[in-house]
Amino acid sequence: MSDDSVNQLIHDVRNPLNNISMHAELAKMLVAEGATEEKILQTLDNILQHCQHCSTVLSAFKENS
Amino acid sequence: MARVLVLDDDQDFLQAATDLLGALGHEVNTANSLGAGELMVKANRFDHLLIDLMLPDGSGLQLLDALSERQRENTKVTVITGHPSIKQSVKSLYGPGVNYLIKPLTLDALKDALTGEAQPIADTPETTSSTKKSVRPSQAASSIEELLVGESSQMQHLRATVKRVAATDANVMLMGESGAGKEVVAQAIHQLSRAQQPFIATNCGAMHGELINSELFGHEKGAFTGALARKPGVFEQAGEGTLFLDEITEMPLELQTTLLRVLETRTLVRVGGQESIATACRVISATNRSEAAIARDKCLREDVYFRLAVFPIHIPPLRDRDGDIPILANHFVAQLNQEHDTHMAIDSADMKRLEAYSWPGNVRELRHCIHRAFIMTDPQSRHIEIPERLGSPFAQTSETQEPGDFALKPGQSIEQMEKALIEMTLDKLGGDKTRAAKMLGVSTKTLYNRLKAYENEPQEPE
Repeated sequence: MSDDSVNQLIHDVRNPLNNISMHAELAKMLVAEGATEEKILQTLDNILQHCQHCSTVLSAFKENS
Repeated sequence: MARVLVLDDDQDFLQAATDLLGALGHEVNTANSLGAGELMVKANRFDHLLIDLMLPDGSGLQLLDALSERQRENTKVTVITGHPSIKQSVKSLYGPGVNYLIKPLTLDALKDALTGEAQPIADTPETTSSTKKSVRPSQAASSIEELLVGESSQMQHLRATVKRVAATDANVMLMGESGAGKEVVAQAIHQLSRAQQPFIATNCGAMHGELINSELFGHEKGAFTGALARKPGVFEQAGEGTLFLDEITEMPLELQTTLLRVLETRTLVRVGGQESIATACRVISATNRSEAAIARDKCLREDVYFRLAVFPIHIPPLRDRDGDIPILANHFVAQLNQEHDTHMAIDSADMKRLEAYSWPGNVRELRHCIHRAFIMTDPQSRHIEIPERLGSPFAQTSETQEPGDFALKPGQSIEQMEKALIEMTLDKLGGDKTRAAKMLGVSTKTLYNRLKAYENEPQEPE
């Protein structure tokens, strides 16, 4: 496993993690504001999608290494 | 409340950041490429830049180079990075004024970065920069004489035109050679008319295929694979401000139909959406092609052209602007002197050389030339050392042409061009017609026929 591929992996995983983090913060804020259910659910969906994305990146890494 | 620009190529992140920072009471603008970011910092004043390092067209840090000295003093910069190791190397390059956040971000980290912000330097007593302080950046930038420098009749005319068009809501098409100042004129129109509203810039040549519609008009969540969330397009982002569409003639013809509908109805529907959304922005488009070339090459639908060029503005090339070269050269030197606290000038012999040169790269080339010379000159010196040879390898002109070279000029016929190309190729290959035909992608027979036709040419009556 080269340093380069590890660095690339870190980068590729941190991006979806960042999205998860940001959308979780957004969801908290929406709940606190009493936003519509639809908006909150949309934000949570976004988190789930980025979790999936994270998992895809990790699987691809395992296959290639 | 701060005006924040977030620069990142991750649409989902941009959307979340917009919502979060908006909820915190900040005014948020976003850019998804370095090019768009650069245009936006030139046109708007931001209190804070949040930038990602890895962008499709470069590093986010290059955005700092686009800031003027004054902006650099008044703008806080936070780099968002996925690599903690980058922090140290960047710090050594860009100094302590740049802040860092490591992904994944949290709300607290964002809040700290924005609210922990130091007062702008202009508020602290400082005697050395009194001249800078006396002019508020926003006021300085809104003076049209300062934005569009030059005293030639063409520039006076251009300034008058810009003032007139700024007072209207008409769509403007800017036509001018590369480097002539299309972006600057677009910003001037924006400053004079809708300075409080957003200025959104996007390059139609840089967008590819199917994504153009999504970039321009936005998309709904799930509109296509990868559309994870709803995204507003540039038309929506521009709100009641200005939308600058650079290189409009590079947009594929078949995708111009949707643009036409939006321009005609002033409403848009996001890709995959139902709801129609009203648009209120002024569209300023730009191209380096002439009207004749646009018509000839059919790179813009006629109906789209008429919608965009309600008010066409031609920006004259620098070589046609009588007496503006010394004014601009001195203007650029004065800017550099002010930024670096030096006292340089261009001596008269050098100025004559600058005036004699044809500046195929226009004002941009002149500015770069002065900047380069400024860097090469000893800061203590009183005279800038202008290089012996002017001109860049990219901008071949008739003066600097080597024998056998051929420069494209508007109005030349395809035949002339073809002949020159064939001659050049043969010249290069020492007259080897078989290889020349191969290189030119024609059959040897075709090449012989062409050459024969050229041989007969001189005998033909003029």
